[in-house]
Amino acid sequence: MIAIQNLSKKYGTNEVLKNINIQFDKGKVYGIVGENGAGKTTLFRCIADLEEYEGKISSNSTPIKHQLGLLLTEPFFFQKITGKEYIQLLCNARKIKIADIQERNIFDLPLEQYASTYSTGMKKKLALTAILLQNNDYFILDEPFNGVDIQSNIIITEIIHKLKSLDKTIIISSHIFSTLSDTCDEIHLLNKGSFIKSVQKTDFPVLEMEMKQMTIGSKIENLRLI
Amino acid sequence: MKEYFALQYRMINRRFKDAGFEPILVYLILTVGFVGLSIYLFSKTEFAEYIFLLSALTLIGKLSETRRTEFLKICFGDRQLKKIRITENLICSIPFLAFLLYKQLFIHVGLLLTLTTFLALVNFRTTFNFTIWTPFSKKPFEFTTGFRNTFFLIFVAYALTIIAVSVNNFNLGVFAMLLVFATTLSYYSKPENEYYVWTYNVKPKEFLFNKIITAIHFSSSLAFPIAIVISMFHPEYIGILSLFFLIGWGFLINVILSKYSAYPDEMNITQGILLALCIWFPPILVILIPYLFKKSENRLSSLLK
Repeated sequence: MIAIQNLSKKYGTNEVLKNINIQFDKGKVYGIVGENGAGKTTLFRCIADLEEYEGKISSNSTPIKHQLGLLLTEPFFFQKITGKEYIQLLCNARKIKIADIQERNIFDLPLEQYASTYSTGMKKKLALTAILLQNNDYFILDEPFNGVDIQSNIIITEIIHKLKSLDKTIIISSHIFSTLSDTCDEIHLLNKGSFIKSVQKTDFPVLEMEMKQMTIGSKIENLRLI
Repeated sequence: MKEYFALQYRMINRRFKDAGFEPILVYLILTVGFVGLSIYLFSKTEFAEYIFLLSALTLIGKLSETRRTEFLKICFGDRQLKKIRITENLICSIPFLAFLLYKQLFIHVGLLLTLTTFLALVNFRTTFNFTIWTPFSKKPFEFTTGFRNTFFLIFVAYALTIIAVSVNNFNLGVFAMLLVFATTLSYYSKPENEYYVWTYNVKPKEFLFNKIITAIHFSSSLAFPIAIVISMFHPEYIGILSLFFLIGWGFLINVILSKYSAYPDEMNITQGILLALCIWFPPILVILIPYLFKKSENRLSSLLK
């Protein structure tokens, strides 16, 4: 469980997160949606303790980061480090001994090649593989489906289901609503640093419609396409 | 094209301003520094013109980076790209050309002009996809990536060791050993992305100890063969050799701690001065290492709670 109480975050005078209160229970998948700049990544960085913040974030295992697998939107890779070495590095960091990397390479990545030469989707899959092999209890997946091929999309969805069945806590952000409705138990809509709506699985179609109306409005007409 | 260079000029000035310097002052200091260093170089070595050419080409080479060239090609097209690349290469080589002209080294001027134009017109994109083997694969990342970038320098050091033995030159042997240490120091010169520190499940002290132990272990495995060979042929100097080995370790620890004492920022001028002081007077390391360790612990404490 991760409990967030009165979380606020400012960059200078710009208040990015405003008094966030939410609880993420174990064995559940949570979707966070919102426009670019709504505060999703900042929220994730605060949970991961990568940012200073006001308020309180607590969990069953303290500090959270010791049990947290964080998949960044654009994972960073060193030049001239192979996929296998990247996984090794992340497992070493968590003191996890891993001998059968090749067998657990479910995305069939070319692990002996330099990770920096991978495509966007392959990089994402490599970073995801590494955090999965870290045996974490909590997962924050920032845009896990971004740039990933359709076959891997199916695998990632199944992985999320598996993690849920193992009682892990999973928080996902995605701009593809269908991937969230396939995986999440709850979706929370973040707007300008505040949660403005939270819905359960049964109400996902309603939320999708509302978001469409709220986001599009008359913007397309304003383009005056001919 | 004019707009492109105007934008580059504004971007350079912005960098200086962001660093807290007045651009005009920086240009003045750079000019004086360049002339001063050039005069010093030419007064110190007969190979100065070659070092000079190499420095110019290294600087220009940085502009030939594939992704940058591709971006320019997308923006401006083939014809404009060539004009831009030739012009910017020429702008960068102007100081070097001017000094070579002053020295009346006309052949070198011609050579530099030719190479400058050549580098502007060729694209070094390669389809070569080969992973260089490294003995440090089990414990990424510094030595893994560092070795792949600088393995040729390690081979140069080993070749120098063989030469040192064959010409019975102890000093050359020591130089080869120090070259290995100097090469490994460079593996720690830049701060890594914060994710690679954050992801560790350890306290700052343990993190730093692990980094230091790995560095000592791996650098020794590279430098030790040289030390063994040299000490076999010069057993009378084992004491001095051991001292140099210890100094090599000392510098390595110092660079690691300097990096993390500024982390996540890059090493600043103060740390640079402290490093220079250590090179001038290595015993300072005894005081500096504990000081930097404490400072590094503090800097890492926000990421490694």
